[in-house]
Amino acid sequence: MSKAAYPLRWRVMDGLEAVVAALWPKNFARALPYVMVLPAILLVMLLVIGLVQIGDSSARTLDRSTFLPSDYYTGENYGRIFTDGLYWSILWRSLLGSLVVTSVSLVFAFPYSYLMVRTPSALLRKFLLIALFLPFFIGQVVRAYGWLIILGNQGVVNEMLGLIGIEPMRLLYNYPAVLFGLVQYMIPFAVLMLAPALTAIPEEMESAANSLGANWWRTFVHVLLPMAKPGLVGAGLVVLTLSLTDFAMPAILGGGSQDFIANAIYDQFFRTSDQGMGAALTLILVGVGSLLVGIVFTLFGAGTLAMGREKK
Amino acid sequence: MIQPLSKSIVIWTMVIAVLVVLSAPTIVVLGASFTSGNIIKFPPDGFSLQWYAKIAMAADLRNAFLRSLAVASICTLIAIPVGTLAGIALSKYAMKFEKTLQIYLLLPFTVPLIGSGIGLMLLFGQWGIIGQIWPIGIACCVINLPFMIWAVTASASSLDPDLELAAANCGAPPVAIFFHVTLPAVLPGVISGSLLMFILALNEFLVSLLLTDARTVTLPVQIYNSIRSIITPDLAAISVVFIVCAALVIALLDKLVGLDIFLKSK
Repeated sequence: MSKAAYPLRWRVMDGLEAVVAALWPKNFARALPYVMVLPAILLVMLLVIGLVQIGDSSARTLDRSTFLPSDYYTGENYGRIFTDGLYWSILWRSLLGSLVVTSVSLVFAFPYSYLMVRTPSALLRKFLLIALFLPFFIGQVVRAYGWLIILGNQGVVNEMLGLIGIEPMRLLYNYPAVLFGLVQYMIPFAVLMLAPALTAIPEEMESAANSLGANWWRTFVHVLLPMAKPGLVGAGLVVLTLSLTDFAMPAILGGGSQDFIANAIYDQFFRTSDQGMGAALTLILVGVGSLLVGIVFTLFGAGTLAMGREKK
Repeated sequence: MIQPLSKSIVIWTMVIAVLVVLSAPTIVVLGASFTSGNIIKFPPDGFSLQWYAKIAMAADLRNAFLRSLAVASICTLIAIPVGTLAGIALSKYAMKFEKTLQIYLLLPFTVPLIGSGIGLMLLFGQWGIIGQIWPIGIACCVINLPFMIWAVTASASSLDPDLELAAANCGAPPVAIFFHVTLPAVLPGVISGSLLMFILALNEFLVSLLLTDARTVTLPVQIYNSIRSIITPDLAAISVVFIVCAALVIALLDKLVGLDIFLKSK
């Protein structure tokens, strides 16, 4: 049988094998994994170069007469941030807010994940998953827009309150509104990080605790919580960093009066046009974020965030 | 196992609260988009499709949506090969500096979005490529890359390395092994990862806000700019586009890989 009688697919594959064998002799095999991650490394490199750029900008102050960044390096921007009470109050508002959002999200995400993982009904599980993914996939702006309709002065809630004779209240553009929006935004993240950790806990553990006389609350505190720790750490970390650095919810639901750090950074770049100051704030935020991640990682390990091979 | 009543009550109360809070904005936006009045009221004034007719005529909204689609497609097309190769390499091979590499590849996740956005804005500004669509696609790919890698590693770790050895033993050369054994095994991860990348890029707001100018606004940025001026029902109608896209992606995910994949423990 002549070679031409082979199906085209075989010949394409043979050609590919020959090309790969020529380009990639067997003794290069040890380098293969590095070549495979190289594109990802290069892509993330963009981010690193960007951070270096931020670092460079942050060390130049704005020359008030020419409105150009200075061509010498100075720590002036950082000095101004640390002495200006405004930035401290914004930092404090963001930190406090993200801590509140994290705890509330975890408290509510836990029973949701638990029910989703443990329910014997496939239908209920699917319903809970869809109810979770739909808002997750809709994006922050649309969701915030929904809250504007619900909480606005002529919004759904105020209309309903009006029916029972309660005067309309200003429910938007305050701190609780921002936190509420953030919790709604974060719950899907928290549930998706928690659920795999709960799946990993065998149901027999709970039955065992039960048969040894623990009621469900004690089982929860002494069995479920400790075993779900990796998931809680992962979920808490994701929620904490995402809400600490969020832009859209404070911007839309806070109406400019409840700025988080990201909003302050944006304003420095696009309102005040003080690039150096904005860059300095950005670098501080990156620092605070990495510090939080670092502390949690060293205290609890990478939890469910680890990529790649399991530790043997 | 029979659950005690108090436990069921506590769980269900909290779950229902979460369900209400999660779905309220979606339901309200859907309802508002069908109003026949000129302002958003709830319950709506009456049923009409006038706002849909209006957005169908609005060229700026349509173009913004097309740009968002382009951004999401570019992001996904880059993420698929890059994330798949990296995911397979990370889960299959022992590498030097593995820990460092992991921390490095987690950077898009640990660096706050505003930081990534500003950094890329400065970088792209210097390269003079701001005002084009494809840099936004690349930016969305960079910031969401960990999702793709996680998805692939999650399914690659269930791939038995003996299978590849068995294929080699039967005489399959490396490329054939990759396409016939390795790739099919990680395919669920690739599919769920790329759907995630697509929908996240379609919705990406902050990084788009920083990287777009008046000629390249994407739909989320367009909506954001409009809600700051006045809330009209046409915005609700255009938001329904996102709800439909989200529903489509969920249906695809469920059909192709099953939503349960997100509940699996690693």
